[in-house]
Amino acid sequence: MVFLIQQTMLYAIPLMIVALAGIFAERSGVINLALEGIMIIGAFIGALFVRIIQENMVFTQDQGQLLMVLAMVVSAIFGALFSLLLSFSAINLKADQTIGGTALNMLAPAIVLFMINLISQQNVLGMATGDASSWFMIKPSTFGLERDHDFGFIGNLLINKVYLSTYICIAIFVVLSIILYKTKFGLRLRSCGENPQAADSLGINVYKMRYAGVTISGALAGIGGFTYALTTANCASTGEVAGYGFLALAVMIFGNWTPLNVALGGILFGLFKCIAATYSSLDINGDGVYMLAELGISPYVYRLLPYLITLIVLAFTSKKSRVPKAEGIPYDKGQR
Amino acid sequence: MYRLDPDTGKQKFFAKDGTKSVISAIISILIGMVVGTLIIIIVGVTKEGMSISSIWDGIRLVFLGIFSTGREAGELSFGFNPVNMGNMLFRATPLIMTGLSVAVAFRTGLFNIGAPGQYLMGTTATLYVALTVPSETIPAWLIWILAFVCGIIAGALWGCIPGILKAYLNINEVITCIMTNWIAANLVSWFFDVRENLKNYDEGGKVGYVRPTSHNNIETFDFGLDKLFPDSQVNGGIIIAIIIAVIMYIIMTKTTFGYQLKACGSNRHAAKYAGINDKLNIIYSMAIAGALSAAGASLYYLSGNTEFFWSTYQALPAEGFNGIPVALLASNNPIGVIFTGCFMSMLNISGLQLKTLTPYNEYITDIIIASIVYLSAFAMLIKMLIENRQKKKDEKVRAVKEGGDK
Amino acid sequence: MADYVIEMNHIRKEFPGIVANDDITLQLKKGEIHALLGENGAGKSTLMSVLFGLYQPEKGTIYKDGKEVKINNPNDATALGIGMVHQHFKLIEVFTVLDNIILGAETTKMGFLQKKEARKRVLELSEKYGLKVDIDAKVEDITVGMQQRVEILKMLYRDNEILIFDEPTAVLTPQEIDELMQTMRGFAREGKSILFITHKLNEIMAVSDRVTVLHKGRCIGTVNTKDVTKQELSTMMVGRPVQLEIEKTKAKPGEVILSVEGLTVPSKIHKNDAVKNVSFNVRRGEIVCIAGIDGNGQTELVQGLTGLEKATAGHIELCGKDISGVSIRKRSLAGMSHIPEDRHKHGLVLGYTLEQNLVLQNFREKRFQNHGFINFNAVRKYADKLIEEYDIRSGQGSVTVTRSMSGGNQQKAIIARELDRDEPLIVAVQPTRGLDVGAIEHIHGQLVAERDRNKGILLVSLELDEVLSLSDRILVMYEGEIVGELDPDNTDANELGLYMSGAKRDDREVE
Repeated sequence: MVFLIQQTMLYAIPLMIVALAGIFAERSGVINLALEGIMIIGAFIGALFVRIIQENMVFTQDQGQLLMVLAMVVSAIFGALFSLLLSFSAINLKADQTIGGTALNMLAPAIVLFMINLISQQNVLGMATGDASSWFMIKPSTFGLERDHDFGFIGNLLINKVYLSTYICIAIFVVLSIILYKTKFGLRLRSCGENPQAADSLGINVYKMRYAGVTISGALAGIGGFTYALTTANCASTGEVAGYGFLALAVMIFGNWTPLNVALGGILFGLFKCIAATYSSLDINGDGVYMLAELGISPYVYRLLPYLITLIVLAFTSKKSRVPKAEGIPYDKGQR
Repeated sequence: MYRLDPDTGKQKFFAKDGTKSVISAIISILIGMVVGTLIIIIVGVTKEGMSISSIWDGIRLVFLGIFSTGREAGELSFGFNPVNMGNMLFRATPLIMTGLSVAVAFRTGLFNIGAPGQYLMGTTATLYVALTVPSETIPAWLIWILAFVCGIIAGALWGCIPGILKAYLNINEVITCIMTNWIAANLVSWFFDVRENLKNYDEGGKVGYVRPTSHNNIETFDFGLDKLFPDSQVNGGIIIAIIIAVIMYIIMTKTTFGYQLKACGSNRHAAKYAGINDKLNIIYSMAIAGALSAAGASLYYLSGNTEFFWSTYQALPAEGFNGIPVALLASNNPIGVIFTGCFMSMLNISGLQLKTLTPYNEYITDIIIASIVYLSAFAMLIKMLIENRQKKKDEKVRAVKEGGDK
Repeated sequence: MADYVIEMNHIRKEFPGIVANDDITLQLKKGEIHALLGENGAGKSTLMSVLFGLYQPEKGTIYKDGKEVKINNPNDATALGIGMVHQHFKLIEVFTVLDNIILGAETTKMGFLQKKEARKRVLELSEKYGLKVDIDAKVEDITVGMQQRVEILKMLYRDNEILIFDEPTAVLTPQEIDELMQTMRGFAREGKSILFITHKLNEIMAVSDRVTVLHKGRCIGTVNTKDVTKQELSTMMVGRPVQLEIEKTKAKPGEVILSVEGLTVPSKIHKNDAVKNVSFNVRRGEIVCIAGIDGNGQTELVQGLTGLEKATAGHIELCGKDISGVSIRKRSLAGMSHIPEDRHKHGLVLGYTLEQNLVLQNFREKRFQNHGFINFNAVRKYADKLIEEYDIRSGQGSVTVTRSMSGGNQQKAIIARELDRDEPLIVAVQPTRGLDVGAIEHIHGQLVAERDRNKGILLVSLELDEVLSLSDRILVMYEGEIVGELDPDNTDANELGLYMSGAKRDDREVE
């Protein structure tokens, strides 16, 4: 059970944080189709940062947690920077946001693969030494305890063999959700996604708010990308995140653009991802979930279910879905 | 938009929409190439082991890779390279088709980002028919046609899904296309995963590939192109693609069907008001787009010398997404798509040359392509600049004339 | 000098291709209600947007209390105490009333919203001025009248002293208009200064102290309301004497051409039906007008009639043919022309050229196509004929992209297309909306001419003047029902208003 929950969280956390990234952009009125691309950049920058730090031996393995937090910060910064390309074309040039997002989705893997090939002469950029779990995973030894120390059920669940990034992401998720609903900034940001003309007439700078929304979105997607690479790809960058950005988009729609529902959607879709990924190893771990394997359902079913569910949800809720009204429409000060 | 010459009453050359589109496309391409050049220079300067000559080689290959004939005595040599040319035409075939798919959808107001999924569905249907219908009993040309048609139908049906959701429930087609892409990717992997007889085990060490159709003696007719470009992969697919593009051009601009499709795309409500069945037209439009993408896949894989990597559930085929820049660069003009499709595939060839002949790698061309898509956002800006310059000139002329009258 | 709270001197504002404001001077005294009169497109809204900081003028200066000020954005305007109720409300539909009022003027602690204090203040203001609002309701759920009160509260919440009302009465019943006037007078008594934009002369005479008249972007002059007559004002506004009455003979209605029975159309916005069991008929040679306040089911009635929306019940007969439940195209072929309410949404494909739009309804006819291929020559000839006949003006004739045409000419194109089809029934929905007086007169004349050619006309209008002067029979809609049938010769605006607001309804069954 512990294994299943922890594995699910590993898949769910990046989904949640990237879906929240989508919320911030779309609630400010900009469709951020580039989540996938920004994640790829975030994953690459994080992995590269870890590799460079390791090569220069700035930190030792004992300081892994600090290194990881710094890597998260760096990926956030670069994710935000990369998203500026989208803001510029969508907000300043009033270009089609879907095309802008698509361009970024094409640009990110191209740049990353180009760089990776230059750096490592192959299509993968991994850590310089060690692996993700030995450097970054929280284990009994992190607390100076014996290898096989038993924390009890709750302890095993929460602090054994987990990543600190999970808790950082949850904290970020909670804080940003509160900001979105309880602060002046959040109120103004949401107004720009609903009726920018009204916001403008009340002295709110729509361009600034949309820049803020997309930039926060970029930072979150950057973090999400690195977290994904760290926890599911052994802190390596391969120029792709397996459609995770698009899956996050699905989570956002499934969650009707609200953080709470997005969190639930993230966990649900994370579970599917987890089952599909660990399908063959489930019976080994004897968590009782091997029943799923015995059902004989192809792992492909679990992989495509999130997308299918999103389609179905869209079909049934299209009439009353809470899409931000002004999303995707460039705001032009001249036209009122 | 239409500016008339005050003297002749005809449209001025630079004022024509077509001219402006071509100019803005060329500018986008040039800027994209410059971005590529800059990256080559930056990398060449900063990375150890690279010299000025490797930078110079890289730049020349980005622009002239198609004419590269390899290295002679350590120096890059250039000239007519039939293999490169032929391969360019061969690789252009699917790009032209997905470009057409995106362009036709765009013309009808839909953003078909679902081309990768439609491409995959077309691939699967085509390969299944081409590899399972026995060529001992049925003539190969008939199987070829059957496989082609089945591919098209599969793509059209897959394209219908976002179309139906858009028409009846008004769900944004971009979202549904993205979802159907990934559903398609998983379905296709699943389909081939459980069909051992279709997998290519002939060559040891190859994992995850489907047999080429030549295994069942199915190959696209060459139309003599193999004589023109010996040793290349080219075949008659490119000619079929060009014919389809011309047909699409005629449908979109000369027929009432095209008029209706474009009316729905431009203003669905007005079309409905005028008694045009808007829902049906949206579905038609997506079905056509799906069929075109799938046709691209069919033409590519029916060549007999290509193998499909079936374990695709984590990545979508680039041909699908590259239809977007092809269409954008051509301003969604079906005839323009023929040229921009060839240009994109030329970039791909240049990328391969870059990889084999220099320390750089092929991804530089992907960066250029992505930059071009991004720059298409500027296309409007460039068009406006041309327009403004023209206006100023006109005003000057008028001012001079008026001055002369006094 | 300091008599004036606001002085706008020699304001000039250009947009690409037009000068919206040309050397306009406007002086506002403290505590007065100052009307700004002009036709659609005269530059009233532009001038007010300049004052409110939404546009920057090319030339001219603005003084507040005798001191020159620069108003670069709405924040500056608010800081100077200037507030505005926009013609199209600037409200966030999914936010609550309270959130809408505080948006942009939030009280915060460490960035967190302090809604308790805000709520208290809004309730106080609402009580003090008698502006009743449902503070926790979402804006999308409240009536248009209440939305306007929310807009007014927004200004009061910001302690604005100079209040701009941009065409505030367009969405209100005559009775609600009276209430609004009371409120405005109350503000003026308190020393607040009011700028009141309108093109309705009655309202100006009723409430304003002074009037400034604009015509085609220029200032015609400022006068004291009590020194002028309505006729004089309208001449100033239009630039020439205007017939306030439409010349037409008495109708000679013939046989019934359209009969509607028990039509019910569901609403898109709420769960109730927008049109409830409505029955009426239209005869040849008469103009039947559906009057009512916006949003009482007129739009849905027409959509149900023309087939744009599905009716859930009812029977429609056109020229003796049952057309209930058939497609839009079949209804159209059965003999119905339709001048739609929203010319940009339904009337035109803006990206198409003028000629392509002129054949939008009949491109399938044999004369325009050959086995599915368009006959471009025939289309061009036909378009040139209509352009000539209906005097449609555009930059490049039949190949002009419709988007670049003026609103009046776009409407002319639609009317040309629909009238030239020569169908026996014409459904015209607000055919003169947003047009200047010249164009309105022209269109009214055309409709009367069509009537005299023995056609049946169903007109939907929100303008009381238009209803009273153009129609031969008036049907009043209120909350999806026809609540009265009136003879325009035996009724007046007041009585109409009572029907429109639901205060009065016919007891007898409407035929």
